[in-house]
Amino acid sequence: MLVQIAWRNIWRNKIRSLVIIIAVILGLWGGIFSDAFMQGMAEQQVYSSIHTETGHLQLNAPGFLLNHDMQLRIGDADSVVEQINRLPETEAAAATIQITAMASTASSSTGIIVNGIAPDTYAKVSDISKLMVNGDYFKNDRKNMVVVGQQLADKLRVKLHSRIVLTLQTVTGDIIYGAFKIEGIYRTHNSEFDKQMIYVQKDDLQSLVGFPSGAASLVRVLLQKDDDTKEVAEKLRSQFPAEQVQTWIELSPMQQVLSGTMTQMTIIFVGIILIALAFGIVNTMLMAVMDRTREIGMLLSIGMRPSKVFGMIVLETVFLSLTGAVVGILISIGTIYWFGKSGINLSMIAQGANAMGYNSVVYPTLGAGFYFQLAIMVVVVAIIAGLIPARRAIRLKPAEAVRGD
Amino acid sequence: MPVIEVKQLKKTYNETMVPVHALNGVDLTFEKGEFTAIVGPSGCGKTTLLNMMGGLDRPTSGIVTIENDDITNMKAGELVDFRLNNIGFIFQSYNLIPVLTVKENIEFIMELQHRNRKEMEDRVRYLLEVMGLSDKINVRPRYLSGGQQQRVAVARALASKPKFILADEPTANLDSKSTDILLDLMAELNQKENVTFVFSTHDQRVMDKARRIITLEDGKVISDIKQVKSNEARHS
Ligand SMILES: Nc1ncnc2c1ncn2[C@@H]1O[C@H](COP(=O)(O)OP(=O)(O)OP(=O)(O)O)[C@@H](O)[C@H]1O
Ligand SMILES: [Mg+2]
Repeated sequence: MLVQIAWRNIWRNKIRSLVIIIAVILGLWGGIFSDAFMQGMAEQQVYSSIHTETGHLQLNAPGFLLNHDMQLRIGDADSVVEQINRLPETEAAAATIQITAMASTASSSTGIIVNGIAPDTYAKVSDISKLMVNGDYFKNDRKNMVVVGQQLADKLRVKLHSRIVLTLQTVTGDIIYGAFKIEGIYRTHNSEFDKQMIYVQKDDLQSLVGFPSGAASLVRVLLQKDDDTKEVAEKLRSQFPAEQVQTWIELSPMQQVLSGTMTQMTIIFVGIILIALAFGIVNTMLMAVMDRTREIGMLLSIGMRPSKVFGMIVLETVFLSLTGAVVGILISIGTIYWFGKSGINLSMIAQGANAMGYNSVVYPTLGAGFYFQLAIMVVVVAIIAGLIPARRAIRLKPAEAVRGD
Repeated sequence: MPVIEVKQLKKTYNETMVPVHALNGVDLTFEKGEFTAIVGPSGCGKTTLLNMMGGLDRPTSGIVTIENDDITNMKAGELVDFRLNNIGFIFQSYNLIPVLTVKENIEFIMELQHRNRKEMEDRVRYLLEVMGLSDKINVRPRYLSGGQQQRVAVARALASKPKFILADEPTANLDSKSTDILLDLMAELNQKENVTFVFSTHDQRVMDKARRIITLEDGKVISDIKQVKSNEARHS
């Protein structure tokens, strides 16, 4: 019956209860939705990072990443790719030659990294092909074509179809020059990446520097599911003990930090909102206890134990809070689901966001774990908020309270 | 053995600037089946005395014994349970739980006693029949008149099967017709079921229905009269 009394008591002063319930609904909705928005941004960041910069996994000779030493290579890269493709978790794998070089025009020059790729295969592990802002991604089979980032093109002050000269070292240590024509210009969300990474046909690069055929600097792997990353990494490590196998998390630790702290930040963020709401809840319940002084005095008089009265007030506080929280969370889930599908287009205000490395359409999202943690937090905060009015209630002296006026 | 024994009861309120001696050594005994009114001018200590007898407040000195249990020296926790199982309370302002129906209000106290469902339902039905409120069983208090609410309060007080019932000015908020109905019901319960009532009042007509009248003045008993009354007299 305590449950019934506590529940019905909420609706005794409808306006007062509704005010705090609506505050809880709006507070949580705002907090949860902002969290989902931030989480959506972070996940998008991770997604683009995987799909343009790193893949899920990368194999290379140990030490290669330190200074892109051309001697450190995967000798039988083609067979490695073939074996990886046979794994059920694999979406695609591609062998790439990666060499540091100098890109120059008549007016300026800059250090870059040349990626020698097989365009069709590479398009399966990287979204670069879809991020062309100008020109094409290796549409025709002409020799010595190059795809560069927008940032680099700007820096070198070159346009589509301009020529750039690459200065590289050959396998034997000689310096060699190659003239390449810009066939396409891409743009990712990461301007540092765009300044550095240029793409040429693997065959062109191979013959230019004398790279052995069938070999590669690295093999990039895209998986069907993000969650398989660790497991497949382990598999590959035992399958190719001679190579270094790294996950996207190891390749760009910032992403991990970002998405990892984001989950904690979201919880802290709604936590702060909840604490603010708790003050309102305490106030509402204190008023409720004052209004019911005489009734509580009666309960204590006729022999209801103070511990039960205490529990009843805490229960009522929890019900009051949960009513708002459940509605707020449901509305949040609904709106997050809706915008998670349609996306929120930030292009109006996106100039800034893009420079920060974010895409202009954000798909808000939150994991089930967040809601679980949030539900526990709501209950804990409600119980704590209930302690103060409950203590006030049981401190009433029955004889005086029952007289009540 | 008396139900209630009050010995040398004194109560001084010290919270005020000048200490108030609300009770100045009261000695009283109440036997099973009594129907007693406590009367006296305002401020004479009626409420204070009833609070001490009901274990709602502690005396400054003196002892209240209820069938061998000294309630003045009971621990707070024990006292709560003692009140629940031994004393029925009726208040001037009814004090029903507004969010519960009549039935639930009466069941509530039995639930605190952990009675079983069947027993509770039977008792509710019986008590409401006695109180003439069977048709109001599922109604909430605010839809009842003051007199009806106070009758529910009597039913609630009886529901826990207490040793006696204390009522501080139970009719003060009622009109004379409701007062008569309530008092007649209480008298009937007293006669037929030997329920012990101790109530305070200002109302001459209520006093007339009592079989014992204790008069207080300045925290002292100044008269204690047992009046023998016939049924006819009570109904006139
Ligand atoms: N909590 C309290 N603190 C201080 N003084 C009190 C308190 N309760 C009662 N008194 C004083 O004790 C005296 C007796 O009060 P009590 O309420 O027992 O009188 P009463 O006979 O019930 O009066 P009434 O007929 O007006 O209800 C009064 O002088 C009153 O002012
Ligand atoms: Mg009084």
